[in-house]
Amino acid sequence: MSEIKVVANILHTNEEITSQNKQLLNEKGIYVINLMSSPGSGKTSLLEKIISKLRDRIRIAVIEGDLYTTKDAERIEAQGVPVVQINTGGACHLDGKMIKGALDSLNLDNVDLLVIENVGNLVCPAAFELGEDIKITVLSTTEGNDKPLKYPRMFENSGAIILNKMDLLELTNFNKAEFYKDINSLNALATIFETSCVKDPDQGIDELCSWLSQQVNINSQFNQHVSD
Amino acid sequence: MHEVSIIQSVIEIVTKQALENKLTKINNVSLRIGELSGVMPESLEFAFDSCIKGTMLEESTLNIEIVSALGECKDCNLEFPIKHFNKLCPSCNKFCTNIIRGYELNINTIEGD
Repeated sequence: MSEIKVVANILHTNEEITSQNKQLLNEKGIYVINLMSSPGSGKTSLLEKIISKLRDRIRIAVIEGDLYTTKDAERIEAQGVPVVQINTGGACHLDGKMIKGALDSLNLDNVDLLVIENVGNLVCPAAFELGEDIKITVLSTTEGNDKPLKYPRMFENSGAIILNKMDLLELTNFNKAEFYKDINSLNALATIFETSCVKDPDQGIDELCSWLSQQVNINSQFNQHVSD
Repeated sequence: MHEVSIIQSVIEIVTKQALENKLTKINNVSLRIGELSGVMPESLEFAFDSCIKGTMLEESTLNIEIVSALGECKDCNLEFPIKHFNKLCPSCNKFCTNIIRGYELNINTIEGD
């Protein structure tokens, strides 16, 4: 009998494809967001708001992950930006290979910001890198403030966290102080936004959009600097 | 989590390594799983037993070593154990952003004939 030292990352195949994706996206100077949350927290509604506020200044494209339908992609398409649908056919997360296929269908020369809307799931998407610059997790007040404690990895790895459905806050038992305390112990450096997409005027969307355009600008200046 | 797809990937990598090393039968597979990885050893074992049927790994055993999480303070360079909810440096009380161990999802060794 012989023992063989392997020392291989089990997700090696994903990481290999992901690093190719990342290299391509970097070359094109595109800022990439991996947008994650549980189902129904408002990812697509937030995206509609973001696109309507930023599309005149920033060239946005979207990759929509969904188990079976094209419902979200249709909503994004109605906003007048390029969108590619990935149907995972039941799989609980997007991976590098799926993103590679989607990138082939986008004209990357005309994109500043690519948003990948992951499958609604607080567990699995956290483990799969897609070649993004930042992970953003959305939590809605109706889900309860205990979710960061219950699903730590997703919140731990996110550069920004959006607390959505603030208009419903007073109808729930969501404890904001507890939420901030938990996020602080888990991921003290995350930028946090409080938003509502249905309140008139909407809440927190301007702050979120100005932060986003700042990130896109920093990214394009960095890429400019690198290519000079 | 997606333990079945993780095990399928393990079987793929192990089979490839076995063929390269001219093994015909695998007896043991050792994994190193970080405690922050979000992967449950029990679910991996269950998925392993189900997925190895009909493969070169069919009669093999699975060994899982849990890797404890470790952070390194960027200010004082101290290495210290961390948890999801406690990442403060015990020496200077700063939030640790440099996690050096704990997310592992690795195949360590395989044994076979």
